Amino acid sequence: MVTLVLDVVTTAAILFIVSAGLLIVFGVMKIINFAHAAFITVGAYAALVASRLGLPSVLAPALAFVIGGLIGAAAERVVVQWLYSRPLDAILATWGLSIVIGQLVTLAFGRGVQFVPAPISGTESILGEEYSMYRLLMVAAATVIAILFTCVLNGTRLGLSTRAVIMNETLAQSLGIDSSRVRLVTFGLGCGLAAIAGALITPLASVDPNMGLAWLISAFMLVMISGGSLLTLGLSSLVLGGLQVVVSTFVSPILGGLTIAVVAAVALRLRPEGFARA
Amino acid sequence: MRDLDANLPSVASRWLRGAPQWLLRVRWTTPAAIALVLAGPWLLDTYTLNILIRALFVAIVALTVDVLWGFSGTLTFGQSAFFGIGAYGLAIVFTQFGFGPWQVLLALGAAVGVAAAVAGFVGWLSFYPGSTPLYVSVISLVLPIVVVQLLYSGGAFTGSSSGLVGFETFDLSLEGWFLVAGFAMIAVLATTSIMVSSDAGRMLSAMRDNDERCTYLGINTSLIRIWLLVATGVAAALAGFGYVAFSGVAAPENAGFIFGTQLVIMVALGGRGSLAGAVVGAIVIEVASAYLSSSLPFIWELIVGVTFVVVIVVLPGGLFGIFRTFGSWLRGKHPRASGRDAAGIAIETRQEAVAIPDPDAVVVEVENVSKHFGSLSVLSDVSFTARRGELVSIVGPNGAGKTTLIRCLADGRERSEGQVRIGGRSIERLPPDQVVRLGLGRKFQAASVFETLRVADCLRIARSRRDKPSFLDVSSVLRLPPAARAVAESSGLAARLDEEARFLSHGLKQALELAMVLALEPQVLLLDEPTAGLTRVERQAFASVLRELVVRERLCVLIIEHDLDFVRQISSRILLLHQGQVALDGPVADVVNNPLIREIYTGNHQSKRAKDAPP
Repeated sequence: MVTLVLDVVTTAAILFIVSAGLLIVFGVMKIINFAHAAFITVGAYAALVASRLGLPSVLAPALAFVIGGLIGAAAERVVVQWLYSRPLDAILATWGLSIVIGQLVTLAFGRGVQFVPAPISGTESILGEEYSMYRLLMVAAATVIAILFTCVLNGTRLGLSTRAVIMNETLAQSLGIDSSRVRLVTFGLGCGLAAIAGALITPLASVDPNMGLAWLISAFMLVMISGGSLLTLGLSSLVLGGLQVVVSTFVSPILGGLTIAVVAAVALRLRPEGFARA
Repeated sequence: MRDLDANLPSVASRWLRGAPQWLLRVRWTTPAAIALVLAGPWLLDTYTLNILIRALFVAIVALTVDVLWGFSGTLTFGQSAFFGIGAYGLAIVFTQFGFGPWQVLLALGAAVGVAAAVAGFVGWLSFYPGSTPLYVSVISLVLPIVVVQLLYSGGAFTGSSSGLVGFETFDLSLEGWFLVAGFAMIAVLATTSIMVSSDAGRMLSAMRDNDERCTYLGINTSLIRIWLLVATGVAAALAGFGYVAFSGVAAPENAGFIFGTQLVIMVALGGRGSLAGAVVGAIVIEVASAYLSSSLPFIWELIVGVTFVVVIVVLPGGLFGIFRTFGSWLRGKHPRASGRDAAGIAIETRQEAVAIPDPDAVVVEVENVSKHFGSLSVLSDVSFTARRGELVSIVGPNGAGKTTLIRCLADGRERSEGQVRIGGRSIERLPPDQVVRLGLGRKFQAASVFETLRVADCLRIARSRRDKPSFLDVSSVLRLPPAARAVAESSGLAARLDEEARFLSHGLKQALELAMVLALEPQVLLLDEPTAGLTRVERQAFASVLRELVVRERLCVLIIEHDLDFVRQISSRILLLHQGQVALDGPVADVVNNPLIREIYTGNHQSKRAKDAPP
């Protein structure tokens, strides 16, 4: 029972970390970044490089953030900025971008599966149950990301401009906010966050050029259903992640893998605007 | 010999005149494609034939993606799932029961039946009044993922991750398969091309351009989209059936999300909205992948990825989009929707068969209608009635609730409380397309037409609920009721029937939308600021059109208007709305001379909710 609860909480934390970058891009730009999976992969390989160079493992997410953020910002300038008025085409172009990034990663690192050692290993005893330390660490990481995010959005000038662009872009522009810069920074941040997620999940899974894809659909559905708010993203990660764990444990892991997609699709049919104001 | 030669053209033309019109719209490309298929086995080596046969089946699915995405505007990643259903339908039946005549029928039945049922369900999930294109794409993403996971969990029945292989299948030579695949592809291409260019097929582009306008023309777009998904799903399943019948292997990848995105890439590169483009895109990519993925494995996918991004950003029309732009540039400045039968559309008047039973009947009854968003009340307790032959102007300052009132009349799901009856029947909670069927026509504030359709097609779509359009033919006659015809002729639209609506001026677009709404033969006409942005001359012409509609056609017209002089000139009654309530309702002279109207418009009126009106 304790293990089940811990599984639910840590799964939700991982889902939250993986989806946060997609959420900020969707929230500000109203487009879906289908290259999100590729940036998760980029982050994972950044962690791989960091561990090969012998850097302290705390630096791996930071390195991932910088690399992912820079590539993301470049992609926004070259590709995405032309597509804000064509949201469906933006999905396709970012999907094309993910093919390009995936192939470049394959060319650089090969197709094979590689492993990154966890910075902390072993288990922790909680209420008499042994549980993986690293998974518990994910809960802390998710909390840090959520707090940092809220602080940036609510406490800085950039956050203020971002919220203005989310609410009413035309008005924000006419008040002198450079919405194109806001978008550049947001897209870079979103991609950087995806890369952090990639660096954080690598010790739990193996690294390969298509590893991000497995997360894309879950992240995508969670973002759609959360309707663009960080709080509801946390809640939906907890509810749907919990369902996924329960179905995987008691029914079958394969159906568990489908839970998020199917439940979210049906929920969106019943409530198309998502659950941001619920 | 010479005589025979001389006679040939007349024989041909006599034969052609006897042929159905839809057959003539099959262009020279079809015989050329047939010739290519016949010549293929002699020209190509075994390896190429093998690849081409698969590519031809894939091209059929790509066509279905193009119909859904390029024509009806639904971006789908899910057609691979139907391909997979067809593939596994055959593989499972042949593995379980062996090969034989009844097994073939059973496999076909399973492929078609399951694909149709799944498409129907997915369509119901995806298309409902108010669903967004993004949501539809989301569902199309989920579908192949669910199908693949089910295949994985099917154990020996589906072969799990390794798929099904080693079942006995059709015994046909490679050449035979090439002919089958080639002719299947050509048949699907020709059928699709005839159907999408027919009068009924224009509906797809109309829904893509402007789904809301379709709904307000009484067309149930959700239902059409669901049926379209069922038809394309079945076609994709048959393609998958053929693919596996040839290759003898059904693998989960055949149904997967990656294959679904590859189909979209093929269509995007070939050119969305161009059927030949989709086929060429699919065949080129399939064949090139087969040759290059072994010699340049990662570079090839990199090239595809880069090309795809470039095409989406810079050339959304794809390869065939360039051809089309170039072609219309050669032909002249104004590209036309279809060059073949551009001219020669004749307008006919549809004679009114039924006389209006009661020319003074009450056709609009509004009882205690309220609308609130949370605690904000936009309309409260609005009640009034209107008869045939009346022109009621709804006036009031900005924010009085005028447009909300119109919306509550035209869409049963809008109002929070109260009753609305149109032509004596309650609109309940009906969606707009069904309210339109009760005899209501709504013209929007901003001209809402089908931008890429020709004027004649816009009007024909508007008639489609009454005159069922043909799935094969392109009609050269446009049958309009007298009122719509009068508007088309007096505005000058009648002379520009073959032009695309996006090339019309603002005033002509407004006239076109009015003619489209009148083509519905409504009893009640709702107009939201129809004269905004019109010139003085256009406005006077519009006034006389309205008078005709009210006096001769006995329409009941409700009009939102700001220009009080214009209101005075045209109205038989004025309804003054203020802060969501009916402040005045009466004949023109009474309302215009009432001091209240001046107070409200100048902001001096103290109402119970206006707290800080200026002194």
